Amino acid sequence: MGSLIADPVLLATVLGTNLPFLSMAAILLFTRSNPSLSGKMSVGAIAAAAVCSIFLLAKLYSASPIQYHTLWLSSDRLNIAFGYYLDPLSLLTLAIVGVVACLVQIYSLGYMAGDPGYSRYYAFQSLFAWAMMNMVIAGSMLQLFVFWEMVGLASYFLIGFYYEKWSASQAGKKAFVMNRVGDVGFFLGLIWLVIGFGNLGIPELNHAASSNALPQSLLTVSALLIFCGVVGKSAQFPLLTWLPDAMEGPTPVSALLHSATMVAAGVYMFSRLFPFFAASPDAMVIALAIGTVTMLLSSTMAMVTYDLKQVWAYSTVSQLGMMVMALAAGGYFAGVFHLTTHAGFKALLFLCSGIFIHEFHTNDMRIIGKQGGRKLKIPLVCMTIGALALSGFPGLSGFFSKEAILGQLATQPSKIWLYAGLLGAVMTAYYSFRLIFHILLPKGGIEEKHHAEHAHSSHEHEEEHHGYIFWAMAIPVMILAGLTLVLGWIEHPLEHFLTSHVVQAHPVQHVAEHAAEHGGGGGWLMITGISAGLLGIFAAWFEYGRKGASRKGFLSYFPAIWKLFDYRWFLDMFYRRSLDTFVYGGLTSLFTKNDRRIIDGGIDGICLLTEGSGRVFSFLQSGMLQYNLLIMVLAAGAAVLYFLY
Amino acid sequence: MNSLPVYLVVSALLFSLGLLGILQRRNLIGMLIAVELLLNSANLNFMAFNRFLTPDPVTGQVIALFVMGLAAAEAAIGLSIILALYRKMHSINIERAQRLKG
Repeated sequence: MGSLIADPVLLATVLGTNLPFLSMAAILLFTRSNPSLSGKMSVGAIAAAAVCSIFLLAKLYSASPIQYHTLWLSSDRLNIAFGYYLDPLSLLTLAIVGVVACLVQIYSLGYMAGDPGYSRYYAFQSLFAWAMMNMVIAGSMLQLFVFWEMVGLASYFLIGFYYEKWSASQAGKKAFVMNRVGDVGFFLGLIWLVIGFGNLGIPELNHAASSNALPQSLLTVSALLIFCGVVGKSAQFPLLTWLPDAMEGPTPVSALLHSATMVAAGVYMFSRLFPFFAASPDAMVIALAIGTVTMLLSSTMAMVTYDLKQVWAYSTVSQLGMMVMALAAGGYFAGVFHLTTHAGFKALLFLCSGIFIHEFHTNDMRIIGKQGGRKLKIPLVCMTIGALALSGFPGLSGFFSKEAILGQLATQPSKIWLYAGLLGAVMTAYYSFRLIFHILLPKGGIEEKHHAEHAHSSHEHEEEHHGYIFWAMAIPVMILAGLTLVLGWIEHPLEHFLTSHVVQAHPVQHVAEHAAEHGGGGGWLMITGISAGLLGIFAAWFEYGRKGASRKGFLSYFPAIWKLFDYRWFLDMFYRRSLDTFVYGGLTSLFTKNDRRIIDGGIDGICLLTEGSGRVFSFLQSGMLQYNLLIMVLAAGAAVLYFLY
Repeated sequence: MNSLPVYLVVSALLFSLGLLGILQRRNLIGMLIAVELLLNSANLNFMAFNRFLTPDPVTGQVIALFVMGLAAAEAAIGLSIILALYRKMHSINIERAQRLKG
């Protein structure tokens, strides 16, 4: 306790990461019936946490990594420590989580005003922030896994927040179950590591892997299994369909989920164990392929949907694919930097969409455009900034990180990854501006607002909005827009900060990274990257923006492809089918048979046997007490005789 | 005359009489009395062994006292059961109580 007070770093760590938990406990136990107090308490806790995380980032900016740990489990060769590990990566992510969660909670003060589940909402938000922050600073993989699951749990609560709505509760369940599939792999990977290596400390693992202390077979198998966790959490192919459904929750939840917390956890874990993964080239190639497939698939899905939030959801999936690609291509900094900038502009995009949805009570971009979406100046401007950043427009944060990723992909021996990345950039710009133009320049001008329109909008939005505090929502949005504008310019200090402690472990890789960025192909690559983004924007303008544009999209000329994209490449249908065939048809019926025949049958058999034998032997019970007594006495006498002689 | 076998023989006789009573009497109260005989024969054994075999005179007496208390309790419970049985079938003949026949 004394050391806690004496050491401001530890104090800030403990306080910052655990205050949200206290606020959750207080809300659930005491202040459920007092929504405004709950909201204030939760926002206060997360604001304190954000301040603590920024303090830690500033304080430890040039310090070497700090580790606090205590042995939790120790036997023979196995040592599992619990504690905090504060290095540049965790400090940076902690600050992102703190700031984004804080802004989202302030925004929610406006968005959720008057909702009957207000207190519950803030309790779960606090739980979410607490779990994520503790996951970020975890010192060992087991601790990380525990909080990883907590993050999953909190997101399940929040996605299914409107639980009385069937689709919302289904979406929560889907997210939870699909994450479990990945987590089983993750956990098996950890067990594999415990058996083979006996230590789950993150710095120990990374050190052992980068100094070739681990056999390649152990490394590859465990890296691939742990990567399953990333696939589930960060919605990579083939477990990507839960994320678009996750928008059933309130919009601020989507903003948090898609930027700094839930899905970032997977990429964070990947970069956390980056030296470990990097030591296994096979695992890296598979990760690269998965990231690429994810990015391309989800970009195509985003090109056909009319749902505002769904576009951003698909784009999150594709950007996550991009981060995984960057990391798998060896670009530690590129991946983490894109994670950082993406957290900013994706939160911005979702929060802006939230304002539109709140105002027009629909998710359909065509209806929002027709009803005068462009009259909401602040969110529209901010959303355009976010979309520009997403498309990699020069000067905005997304531009810098996307260039870093493309630079990294260009160092790969095969150029196919780079082309895939460029194709992804074109599609990203196209679908972002398809949305912007739909709202900015609606087909046939703006109609007068009819209240009757609300009733038959295609995506009936059943969230009930009782109150509306515009400024609580607009201010976080503007802060995020400002961040999006400036975040890109700190690329080099950030790179120095992040990689200064990794350099010793990976001198070769780092040199390669620099060669790619500043070497011959740099200028050419930058021009290609920018033009890919501009090409996408131009295509969107040509089809949706210009006067007399068809506003249909070139894909509508190919109905089969449209359908393929619209039905998410039939992935959901495939899951449904295989679930029905293998799980319900195979496993479940087997278990049912086992339950009915063997377990129930066994117990029934024992009952029948007892009853039957009871009937058979009941003749002994003659009802004559004295005969029974006589037999007893005779038996006792016989026993006495037997023992005496 | 004043030796252990004499007491043991008396006690065995008492026990046999009690056993005979409990097996042969059809009257429940008679059976209860026979049980008292059994208990008393055991008491007699205790006292006899205590008198002739152990140096400490208290042990057997304490047990005998306990058995007496037990016998009193048993008589109370037995009598109340008999009373309940009598109320149910207006008889205290053990042969009438055959309802639990298998």
